[in-house]
Amino acid sequence: MKITEAFERGEFVVTAEVGPPKGCHIEHVLEEAKTYLSGITAVNVTDNQSSVMRLGSLATCKALKDEGLTPIYQLTCRDRNRIALQSDLLSAAMLGIENLLLLTGDHTKMGDHPQAKPVFDLDSVSLIHTVKQLESGVDLGGNELVGEPPKFAKGAVVSPCSDSIDAQLAKMERKVAAGCEYFQTQAVFEPEKFIKFMEKAKQFGKPVQVGIIIPKSVGMVKFMNNNVAGVHVPDDMIEELRADKEKTKAGITGVEIAARIIKECRPYCQGVHIMALGWESKVPDLLKQAGL
Amino acid sequence: MENYTKYKLKSNDELKSLLADKDNLFIIACNKCFKEFETIDEPDCDEFEKIVTECGKTITGKVKVDFLCNKPQTERKLQDMIPEGTENIFVISCGLGIQTIADLAGKPVYAASNSLNYRGHHGMALTKKSCDACAQCYLNITGGVCPIVDCSKSLVNGQCGGSKDGKCEVDCNKDCAWEKIYKRLEKQGRLEEFLNQPVQIRDFSKVNVKYVNDYVKAVRGDRLEGYYGGVHPSERKEFTEHLALERFPDPEVVVIPLSMHAGAPANPVVQVGDTVKVGQKIGEAAAFISSPIHSSVSGTVIAIEPHGHATRGECLSVVIKSDGKNTLHESVQPHKDLDSLTPEEIVEIVREAGIVGMGGAGFPTSVKLKPPKPIDTILLNGCECEPLLTADHRVLLEFADDVIYGLKAIIKTVGAEKGLIVIEDNKQDAIELMQAKTADISNIDVVVAKTKYPQGAEKMLIKRVMNRKVPSGGLPADVGCVVSNISTTKAISDAIQKGMPLIERVVTVTGERLKKPGNYIVKIGTNTKDLIDYCGGIIGDDVTIKAGGPMMGFLLNDVNVPIMKGSNGIIAVETDHTVELPCIKCGRCVDVCPMDLSPLYFAKYADQENWQGMKEMNVMDCVECRCCEYICSSKIPLVTKIKAGKNAVRGMK
Amino acid sequence: MLITELKPRETIASLVEGKKVFFINCQGCKEVHFPEKEIKELQKELAADGNVTGVITTDYICNPENMKLRLERHMSEIEAADVVLVFSCGVGVQTIADYLEDKKVCAGCDTYPLPGFQGVTPLEYNCDQCGECYLNLTGGICPITACSKSLVNGQCGGSKDGMCEVDGNMECGWERIYRRLEQLGRLDVLKCPTQVRNFATDDEVSK
Repeated sequence: MKITEAFERGEFVVTAEVGPPKGCHIEHVLEEAKTYLSGITAVNVTDNQSSVMRLGSLATCKALKDEGLTPIYQLTCRDRNRIALQSDLLSAAMLGIENLLLLTGDHTKMGDHPQAKPVFDLDSVSLIHTVKQLESGVDLGGNELVGEPPKFAKGAVVSPCSDSIDAQLAKMERKVAAGCEYFQTQAVFEPEKFIKFMEKAKQFGKPVQVGIIIPKSVGMVKFMNNNVAGVHVPDDMIEELRADKEKTKAGITGVEIAARIIKECRPYCQGVHIMALGWESKVPDLLKQAGL
Repeated sequence: MENYTKYKLKSNDELKSLLADKDNLFIIACNKCFKEFETIDEPDCDEFEKIVTECGKTITGKVKVDFLCNKPQTERKLQDMIPEGTENIFVISCGLGIQTIADLAGKPVYAASNSLNYRGHHGMALTKKSCDACAQCYLNITGGVCPIVDCSKSLVNGQCGGSKDGKCEVDCNKDCAWEKIYKRLEKQGRLEEFLNQPVQIRDFSKVNVKYVNDYVKAVRGDRLEGYYGGVHPSERKEFTEHLALERFPDPEVVVIPLSMHAGAPANPVVQVGDTVKVGQKIGEAAAFISSPIHSSVSGTVIAIEPHGHATRGECLSVVIKSDGKNTLHESVQPHKDLDSLTPEEIVEIVREAGIVGMGGAGFPTSVKLKPPKPIDTILLNGCECEPLLTADHRVLLEFADDVIYGLKAIIKTVGAEKGLIVIEDNKQDAIELMQAKTADISNIDVVVAKTKYPQGAEKMLIKRVMNRKVPSGGLPADVGCVVSNISTTKAISDAIQKGMPLIERVVTVTGERLKKPGNYIVKIGTNTKDLIDYCGGIIGDDVTIKAGGPMMGFLLNDVNVPIMKGSNGIIAVETDHTVELPCIKCGRCVDVCPMDLSPLYFAKYADQENWQGMKEMNVMDCVECRCCEYICSSKIPLVTKIKAGKNAVRGMK
Repeated sequence: MLITELKPRETIASLVEGKKVFFINCQGCKEVHFPEKEIKELQKELAADGNVTGVITTDYICNPENMKLRLERHMSEIEAADVVLVFSCGVGVQTIADYLEDKKVCAGCDTYPLPGFQGVTPLEYNCDQCGECYLNLTGGICPITACSKSLVNGQCGGSKDGMCEVDGNMECGWERIYRRLEQLGRLDVLKCPTQVRNFATDDEVSK
C-alpha cells in the first residue's frame, strides 16, 4: 500500500523506523517490528544510517513486507551514483516496495568508515526528480524503460526546528517542485517551533508527519543538542528527565514527553513519524498515550 | 596569506620501512611553491636526511631545486648531477615533481612525501576561495558562493539539513555553504530566482581529461616554441595596424637631444643664432660608440640647453626654430649605387647619417656593421612583439623596397651569406608582401615566427630562427649573426639612396586612452605633447603615458619631451592601480623568463641588498624584457629591483 | 591557474537580458588559457544594446587587495549595473561576489581543471593530490590519474591492445606501470599488500 493513499483518506498517518543490524541476521528486527509496529501505517527502514555500515535497506524492506508490514524504503545519495540508485529503485519496484523516503545522506566522515569515498552524485532533490523520471518510463539518461514504469509514493525530509527555517522552506519547496508527495520531519522537541513552521509549510499542500524521538536519558538529549542538526531539547524537558532517574530509565518520562509533543502538534500536521532508536517496544504505549 | 604548500614528508614509520631494502640514495627536494617566500631553505630535505642517516644508509648526494615540475628547467639542472654509485633516488615533492624525476632519471625513483589534498583549486593569490573546476559553474544561481567547494557534499539543489547552528555537519568550523547562499540571495532579493531554478543534476562528463590534456600540451608547445619562456600579452594592435602612415605636420620648434644613442653624447657643432638646413649635422660623434646628430628642419638655432628627455631625465639639446621651408642641406646627395660602394664606404655613410638602432636601444649601427667575428646571417627583426606598436609593421608595408635595399646593403657590408626577414604571424599582409618582393632574391628569405613576446629581443630572435644560443655576456656576432631593426634598415636605405641622414622616423601613437590613434612620420625633435594633442588628446584622467610599448616602454611623467631616433611609439593606456604584495612562489616568473633566470630571487635579494646573491643568480644576463613583472600576480616591480641589482653589481667591479 | 571556457551564448544572454551590465575580464592566467577573442566579440555584441555600464580588463582578480584598488575606480559604473558579469575562473568570480556582496555577480565562464597545480606550469603529468602518494608502488607513474578508474591494485582487464577501455587514445596506465617496473627491475613491488584508498586525506590539510 502506498502511504499517500492513507494521507488521501485523511488518516493521521503513523510510521516508525527500524534500523537494520550490522550483520546478516534479521530475525530480531522482524520480531520487534511484528510485535510492536504491526498496528501502524508503515515502517521506515534506514539506509546505513549515520554512515554506519549495516544490512541493506532494500533487503530489510523486502523481509518486512513478507511479514505483512508496509515498508518505506529509505534511500541516500552517499553511497551510490545515479546508476546504482536507479537500479535499486527498479529492484524495489520489482519486489513490490512502493514507498520511498529520499535523502541526501550523512557524510561518510560521520560514520564508521570515514575513509570511504563519498559519492553524492545526486542529492535529495535530484533523486526525487530521478524517481519521477523513472515513473514516466524514462531513466535519467533519457532511455526508455521496458514495460510498465514503476510507481512510488515519494517522501522526503525536512527539519522544522532548524536555525534557518526559511532556507529549509526553500529547499522543501524545491523538493515539492521536483515531485515529493509527503514529508517526514527531523525530531521535534519544541512544538511551538513546529507549529510556526507548519503555518508556512502548509502552502505546499503536502502532508507532513511530525518526527518524534522518545528521549531516553539526560545524556542522550544533551548529545543530540550538541551533535544532531535541527534538534534542540529545551531545558525544562531536560529537567523533567533529570527529576526522577528511575522513571526516566524505565522510559516512562520519555514516553510522557513524546506523547505530549504529539498531542500538541497533531492539529497542525497529517501524521507522526517515530524514531524509536531501539525502543520499539515503547511505541504501542506511546501511541496509546498520545491518543492514536 | 594561506599556505598552499603541496607536500608533506611521509611518516617516519613509512619512510623507515620504505628505506629498509634500499641504499645509496640521492635526494632531490623541491623548494615548494604557493607559500609566502619567507625562507630560501625549506627544512624537509634535512629532516629526511636525518631519518636516512638514522637508518644507517648512505647518501650519495642531495640537491634542493626550485619548481621541480618545471620540466625544461629541471632537466637542465639535473644533467650530470646524479653521482656515480647512486642506486635509488628519493624525491621530496608533490606528485608532479616526483613524476618529472621518475621520467627523467632512469633509476628507481621513490616518493618521500605525500601530496597534500586540498579541496578545489586556489587562485593565483593565496586566498581561501577555491574552485573545483567542475566545468559547469553554479555561481550564477548561488549568489557567487561555490556549492561544489564550500558544501562538504557538493550539493547543488540546497542544503542537506545536517548543519547545526549554521555550521557544517562534517566540520563544525565551517559555515554551511547553503546557509551562506541563502542569506546572500535573500540579501540580493533573488530567492524567487533560486526557487524557480530547474532541478540541477551535475554532469560529470564535462570534465574531460583528454580535452584538457591535449589543450595543455598545446599551451606548453606555445610556451616553449622557439625558445624557453616568453608571454603572450594582448596585442591590441587593431587600433593602428591598418592605418596608413601619415606625415605629422612640421613642428615650429624642434628640440634635438645630443644623446639619442648608446655611448657618448654628441658634441654640438652649431651655435645659437646659426641658420641650419634639413639634414645638416648639428652634433658630431664624440667617441667610437657615439653618433652624429642632424637637424630635422631648416631654421635658426635658438638655444643649446638641457631639456627634458624620455629616458635620461634631462639632456643637452639643440633647439631649432623652423622657418617652415624645409630647405635641404647641400650635403644631402644620393650616393653611388650599392654595387659600386665598398663595405667601408657603406659603414661610413651609415655612421655619418647618424643611424642607430631604432628599436629603442640606440646602439650605433655603423659599429654593428663592423663585427669582430665572421657573420653568416643577417636577421631583419620584423617581429614588433611589443603590444600596441605597429610602426615597423607599417614601414614593412609602405617601404618594402627600401627595407629590402637596406638589407642588401647590410649583407654586402658584413659579407653575410644570407638575410632573413623575420615577421611574426600576426602581420599576414606584411608576410605576403615581403614574400612576393623577395621571391626572386636568392639570398633573402622571409621567416614567419609564431607570435610570442619578447621575440624581438636579439637573443630570442637568434634562438628562435637560428637555434643558436648567444653566450652569457656575448653579442649576436659571437654566433655569426647581425640583427637589424626594420626602421633602421630603412634608414640605411635612405642614407645611401637619398643621402638623407636619420632625421625622421615612424611613430605609432596609440592606446585605448588616446582619442585618435595613428602611425605618423615624425621629425626627430618634435614635442611628444604636440603629437598627443594632434591625435585628439587623451581620454579621461588617470592615464599612463609611455614612450615605447607597454612592456619595455619608459613611463613619461612629463610629455614635454622630444621624439628621438628610438621612439617607436607613444602610448596612452589606463593606469593600473596596484600595490606590491609578498611573493607567493608561484613560479610563473621562472616559467616565463626567456633568459632562464629566477626573478623571484632577484626580488628577495634586492630587498635584502644582497647584491652578491644577485650576481650569483646571473642578474647581469637579464634583458629587462619585463615578462616576469607582467606575469607576477603579486605585482612586484621586478625590473626596478633588477636594475638596482645590476647597478650595484656594476659598482662591485 | 585554470582553464576557462565561455558559457553558451544562450546562458549568457539569459543572464543579461534587459539588464544593465558591467563586465570584468581577468587575464591573469591568460598564459594558460583565456578565451580572449570570443569574449571580446561577445561583449561587443552585448554593448550594441547600450546596456553596458562599463568594462574592465585586468589580471589576478583573485588577489583581493589589488582587485579592490582597481574596482574602486569603477564603483559608479558598477553601481549603475544590475549585473556584474565576470569572465574568469571560479575563484575570481567568488572573490568579486564577496567584495560586491549586494550585487548580482555572475560567471561568464566555466572552469576546467588543469592537470598539475595551478601556478607553476601546466604539465602533461597529473597529480590528483590524493594525499597518499602511490608512486612508490608504481615506478613513478601515478595510478590515480594515469588509470581512468584510478585503480590502485593493478589493471582492470578492460584494456585492448594496451589502450584504455574508456579512451582508446589513452594507454592503459597499469600497462605503463608494469613496463616501467620491468625496466627498473622492480616487478617485486607488485606483490605489495592490497591497497585501499583513504578519501579522507583532506583532514591532513586542516591539521
